[in-house]
Amino acid sequence: MEISRIPPESDPDLAVGLALVRKARRIRLIETAKVGVIWLVLLALLTAGLLQLRFEPQYVFRHANFVLQGVGTTIGVSVVSILIASVLALLGALGRLSKNPIAQGISSFYISVIRGTPLLIQVYFIYLGLPQIGQQFRELGYPQLANIFTLSEIQAGILALSLNYGAYMTEIFRAGLQAVGHGQYEAAAALGMTRWQMLRRIILPQAIRIIIPDVGNQFIAMQKDSALVSLMGVWEITFRANRLARKDAKFIEMLLVAATLYWILTVVSSWLQSRLEKRMAHAYER
Amino acid sequence: MHTNGNPIVRIQNLHKWFGLLHVLRGISLEVYPQEVVVIIGRSGSGKSTFLRCLNLLEEPTSGRIEIDGIAVEAADGELLPESRALVRDLRLKTGMVFQDFNVFPHKTALENIIEAPVIVKGVPKEQAVEKARELLRKVGLLDKQDVHPIRLSGGQKQRIAIARALAMEPKVMLFDEPTSALDPELIGEVLAVMKDLAMEGTTMIIVTHEMGFAHEVADRVIFMEAGMLVEEGPPDQIFTCPQDSRTRQFLARIIESGRLV
Repeated sequence: MEISRIPPESDPDLAVGLALVRKARRIRLIETAKVGVIWLVLLALLTAGLLQLRFEPQYVFRHANFVLQGVGTTIGVSVVSILIASVLALLGALGRLSKNPIAQGISSFYISVIRGTPLLIQVYFIYLGLPQIGQQFRELGYPQLANIFTLSEIQAGILALSLNYGAYMTEIFRAGLQAVGHGQYEAAAALGMTRWQMLRRIILPQAIRIIIPDVGNQFIAMQKDSALVSLMGVWEITFRANRLARKDAKFIEMLLVAATLYWILTVVSSWLQSRLEKRMAHAYER
Repeated sequence: MHTNGNPIVRIQNLHKWFGLLHVLRGISLEVYPQEVVVIIGRSGSGKSTFLRCLNLLEEPTSGRIEIDGIAVEAADGELLPESRALVRDLRLKTGMVFQDFNVFPHKTALENIIEAPVIVKGVPKEQAVEKARELLRKVGLLDKQDVHPIRLSGGQKQRIAIARALAMEPKVMLFDEPTSALDPELIGEVLAVMKDLAMEGTTMIIVTHEMGFAHEVADRVIFMEAGMLVEEGPPDQIFTCPQDSRTRQFLARIIESGRLV
């Protein structure tokens, strides 16, 4: 943008440079356009292929709205879960990096258990297992304790996703904290900062910038893993699509709707992620 | 300058082991207020480790460190429990300048300088800013106050780092090879700032390979070798007629490489 503001006649060299920059830009634009064309061709092929199957496009249009209403729930569950997971991951990472054996033990145990078991089992355990524990407390005469274990579908879904992603994201946070140069810790310590001041003011702001792309990827993955909480009866995209599909035996139709919605969510999230990254890079631009 | 009353830094029998490596072998040293002490010696002689022990970035294996009335002691590879509580107090007595600057990249020059006074000492922000601008003027970077470090040269970053350390009003400034990471043409601007500080009577302990600077600014030069203080004296004595054969050898090698001005 700045380039166009400089009058080319002021310097013959500049004119040559400008021409080169313009040419490079043109080539890049053509490359991007080519990729776009390939996408369109593939989309057309996919659509054509699907149309070969016996299914009713009209049904999709009539009922898409019902599935669309689940988008909010999917986004809501994912956003809350990624936030809680981030807090768990930060605590987990601090535990892993801590010299305190209790913190280290708790965090490594948590990570090991969660990473060592399938998400599906965790979802079932939280949705079906916890109420069972609650029931036992009720029988023992502790109704308050029992209530803690009785979660709504959405709460259970968020808990399962948060716990699961928190464990995986611990490694991301740990790498991010370690990627901040050792010198930054030393400079902060030499200035007399406490560990907490150092973390909050110096290390975390730098680590978060490093972590953001990976957390973004986790968020994108989570939007799709959140389909698993349909098992708990959370009225999100997959649950709604499945419901109609079963009722009217329109599986291809409704699964296509759900898949398309997830895809759109992913594309939008990726775009938001890249914008956020650019904004956070501000202090690091020359 | 040894006449300024009692020593402000007192180090007794400092030892440091890195695994099986005995890096500091019983160092004792006293530094007096307003004194400029320059430590020279080859790489790996323990100069930096010694300096880093003074503010406990490196915990000594054994020995005693006292700076301006704050005393910590280590024995058998550990700080004594009552010393552990004094770590931050000791650090507040010192300001450190690192070889790699270690300025905070996410903060502007001004923010780098006010950070610790505001967060650690609780200085009101306006007051901290005023002081920071004064320090920026002193190191010649007032026009860069709102610039992030990535847009500064190495020499400018190091001057910000010096201002950042000074903002905490330490009793002793520690310089750990402050010009070793700089391009040759940028060394002068950093040394000039350090020279000003020396003239103002700042107590400084400097590890450096800049022999010309050491000769000019030091009150006392210490030659360190294999974790021990081998020889010390006024710069004229050390640079012109060193007594110890190891000091002579070291300086001869430096003259050969053309670095002694």
